[in-house]
Amino acid sequence: MTKPKEIDWERLEAIIDKNRGETWALIPLLQDIQETFGYIPEESIEPIAEALSLFPSQVQGVISFYAGLSLKPKGKYVIRVCRGTACHVKGGRSILRLMKKQLGLNEGETSPDYQFTFETVACLGTCFLAPAMMVNSTYFGKLSPPKVTTVLTQYGKDKGEDKKA
Amino acid sequence: MEAISLTINGKHISCPPGTSILNAAVENGIKIPTLCHHPHLKPAGACRLCLVEDEKSGRIMASCVTPVSTNMVIHTDSPEIKRHRTNIIRLMIASHPESCILCNQGNRCELRQIAAELGVGQIGLYPMPHYTGLEEANPFIIRDLSKCILCGKCIRADHELVVVGAIDYNLRGFKSLPATAHEMPLEESSCTFCGTCVSLCPTGALMVKNTRYVGSPQNESVTLCGFCGVGCSLVMGSVDGQIVEVNPSHHDEAVNRSTLCVRGHFAHDFLNVSERLTSPLIRRDGELSPATWDEALESVAEQLISTKRKYGPQSLAFLGSSKCTLEENYLFQKMARAILATNNVDNGGYGSGKAVVNLITEKLNGGGRITPLASLEKAELVFVIGANPLQSAPVVGYSLKRASRMEGIPLIVADPRKTGLVAFSSLWLPLVPHSDCELINALAAILYTRKSYDTDFVNRFTEGFDLYRDGLSSLDLERVSRVTGIEIEMIERAADLFEGKKIAFVIGHGILQQRYAILAISALLNLALITGSLGGEGTGLYILARENNQMGAWDMGAVPDFLPGRQPLYNDTRRKHWEQIWEVKLSPDPGLNMIRMIEETEKGNLKALYIMGENPVRSLPQPERISKALKNLEFLVVQDILENETTHLADVVLPGTAFSEKGGSFTNLEGRIQSFEPVVSPPGEAKPDWEILDLLAVRMGYPRRHYSFRKIRAEISHLVPMYTGLEQEGEESWIRESSNLKLFRPDGEGEPIHFSPVIITEDETHDEAYPFTAILGSLRYHLGSGTRTTHSARIEGFALKGDLEISPEDGARLNLNEGDRVRISSPCGSISREVTLKNDLRPGLIFIPMAFHNNDAMELIELTQLGKADSPGWKECHVTLDKM
Ligand code: SF4
Ligand code: SF4
Ligand code: SF4
Ligand code: FES
Ligand code: FES
Repeated sequence: MTKPKEIDWERLEAIIDKNRGETWALIPLLQDIQETFGYIPEESIEPIAEALSLFPSQVQGVISFYAGLSLKPKGKYVIRVCRGTACHVKGGRSILRLMKKQLGLNEGETSPDYQFTFETVACLGTCFLAPAMMVNSTYFGKLSPPKVTTVLTQYGKDKGEDKKA
Repeated sequence: MEAISLTINGKHISCPPGTSILNAAVENGIKIPTLCHHPHLKPAGACRLCLVEDEKSGRIMASCVTPVSTNMVIHTDSPEIKRHRTNIIRLMIASHPESCILCNQGNRCELRQIAAELGVGQIGLYPMPHYTGLEEANPFIIRDLSKCILCGKCIRADHELVVVGAIDYNLRGFKSLPATAHEMPLEESSCTFCGTCVSLCPTGALMVKNTRYVGSPQNESVTLCGFCGVGCSLVMGSVDGQIVEVNPSHHDEAVNRSTLCVRGHFAHDFLNVSERLTSPLIRRDGELSPATWDEALESVAEQLISTKRKYGPQSLAFLGSSKCTLEENYLFQKMARAILATNNVDNGGYGSGKAVVNLITEKLNGGGRITPLASLEKAELVFVIGANPLQSAPVVGYSLKRASRMEGIPLIVADPRKTGLVAFSSLWLPLVPHSDCELINALAAILYTRKSYDTDFVNRFTEGFDLYRDGLSSLDLERVSRVTGIEIEMIERAADLFEGKKIAFVIGHGILQQRYAILAISALLNLALITGSLGGEGTGLYILARENNQMGAWDMGAVPDFLPGRQPLYNDTRRKHWEQIWEVKLSPDPGLNMIRMIEETEKGNLKALYIMGENPVRSLPQPERISKALKNLEFLVVQDILENETTHLADVVLPGTAFSEKGGSFTNLEGRIQSFEPVVSPPGEAKPDWEILDLLAVRMGYPRRHYSFRKIRAEISHLVPMYTGLEQEGEESWIRESSNLKLFRPDGEGEPIHFSPVIITEDETHDEAYPFTAILGSLRYHLGSGTRTTHSARIEGFALKGDLEISPEDGARLNLNEGDRVRISSPCGSISREVTLKNDLRPGLIFIPMAFHNNDAMELIELTQLGKADSPGWKECHVTLDKM
């Protein structure tokens, strides 16, 4: 399945080289790597820092600050469930609990087959759809337990099965 | 621009636009509490404690990041503001751990101070501490980030002041904390343990690791760092007469701008070790045993006088110290010259570029001595040659890194090794050791051919350009490229960077201690002349003096060839002047320098030697030879603070005191003269070195005593024109230059500076039996030979082994892996080391750090491995390696 491939260093270096010397280009460069590899390999922190005349700690700080950047390989589908106030009031907590159970994952975890990553966020900015969640860049609102199951099935999650995985 | 007027707490204030409200208030004596603000850091607005209110707009804002604007009516202490502040503090305390009450920071914690001022007791909030665990594996810094309030001062100090970048914010929200890359412990990060972050941390999140619990210091006094030539200003805290804490002082003009290096911050614990000498010792029946001061002084006076009487004044010599004060060095040479009538006086700085400094002094006639580090950050281009300040003089390194990162000033680094500074440079010239002279000439030749040199400067201030020009025109660049190992293109690129710029040259031991030092420095002076890089701000020669008072010891005449004020002995008028003052007859011939002292001892010509504050058995090449020579003396007196290799050989040992236990003055590498008062009392019966010399002088028949270091200071100030500021200006003054050169004279009259001829070095012959070139150099954890730093429990606790560094290519060829042991042999001696593979060395070069294993690296070097012009070639030697 789509396990993260061996890092193609040549490709990574090519991306870094595009922005060599351009300190301002850190974020676009990180986004580029994130998009290409699905994450930013830890080993790339030093070469990025070197190319942009930054400190490795700075690069790491930026990566760890933005939710859209990740140092860990993520699943093909990143599911973000909202724990904001509006969603909470509308029963977001049971959605969360159900999601954990169905995916067999805790917050921040990725399934061993790299299909799903489960995350929570403080507010998705779509409170009118509460309770809400996102799968990659698609929003799903007014969630109910059956709807959650449907969405997951849509993304190829055979409920019940690899709960133990 | 027009000043802005506003009122703060009813007081009318006017200040320049762009001033923050906080600064405007502080400058007018109005206090606003802050936790994330520091005058040497960029404002961050992180803690929000400095909130103030504008009565007109009703806005509440963080005063540290809000600039003043016209007609603001600011209140810094209204009930509204107090309420907000109180809430901020309550929230901070709510996320603080319970261990707060036991925190070593105690009432020095700024969070607790402010809480107390605001009357915050019970916070009435649900505690939500963020436990992180304690990190204390290294011997320097304890991190307990559960006490972190995210003020970001440590991060800004690390980025903006010392420019290391070991830490930055990591993660966000509740989890956010300062962290190293990959969240490694500090010792596995790029942290240099400068401790600057620790000094600035307002809470107990970052603390100095002490070997025992000491609590808060009872006394704090401003003094200087006793290690390197930078002369950092620091605050020492003491408990029961022992120094327990060191912090940088925060005054604006200080050379170190709130920073320190690992030595200054953490190695001063050597002052409290049990090896401190606390009583005079006299050798009786072959054993050194305690004696009274009376006995010891009498014995020394008697022996010196009788040796002089028996063998003449040339049978005596005085080896002083570039670590002792100006006052002591002055007195020391005065004792040699005025009482014992010998010019045989030198100091340990001899091996650190005395010949180079002589040449510069002579060429520039004492001009160009003032080289403030701050002006490096205003230079147009900095050329760093044979210098690795990140290790040897870290605070100079900070200035250079700031110049590059913050000011965008281009740096060129010429060094055989890829030093830490290379990452901050525009160009690295990895030249073959001691080919600097060739490289410099080539640079000048290219600039000359391109006609991009400062004709105006050359015409106005110099002489002898024609001859120099001819020398440059006939330079064979192909040969230079071969000798230096640098492609012509690279030299051309360096010349591109030079074009049209005035340059600051930073010169270290790679030049000061090399065989061709004199040729290299002559070439460099020429280059400075044709680029017009002398006499203006951000230009000139920045010499990295190793010891704290190296420049001062030379200025005071603790050298065989110069009188105080760097006045040459051969100058009849100057000599007569001193003869009159001291009422003696002085020989115009220079006395013995440090190396010649050893040689004359070996020959039996030197009978008695007085060593003050030097440990030649450890610091000079061929330690066995040195100790054998010293045993040849009829009388050896050693005055020092630590029992060491050299005191063991003495007939009389006089316990002196460290700088923190006495008053005095040092001259740093910038030409800044700084005076200090004692912080604690000397241990046991030890006495300040000036006092010992003063007492001895009268016993040897000198008619007057000085009685205090202030009186000696007054004498220097009075007699040495260079040092008139010493007394007049108090704690801090600068060298007074009085050059007869037109360039340095405000009246525009005076002599031109002469170009030196272009001289080509001989091609190296390499002995096949010793195929590697070993470079000997410092690591920042030790200074010089490490007599003092190896007595620091913290430095020793860090357990560096002084590994041999070798390129991976050579490693592979010799089948060496990381951690293997090798024997390193030179024609002179052999030592063994573990191996570390380093990418920053080219094949054929190896690096051996000094100061480790009793500084045994000196066994590889020959004492008299002298260059043409008397400059010790102690920087490198040829060796062979054998896997053990
Ligand atoms: S460790 Fe100290 S200096 Fe650093 S952010 Fe935390 S409280 Fe501020
Ligand atoms: S000790 Fe110095 S180098 Fe290390 S993190 Fe603190 S400021 Fe940076
Ligand atoms: S050793 Fe030098 S750079 Fe370090 S603190 Fe002392 S004077 Fe400053
Ligand atoms: S609270 Fe869930 S989307 Fe805003
Ligand atoms: S001091 Fe102004 S926000 Fe911290």
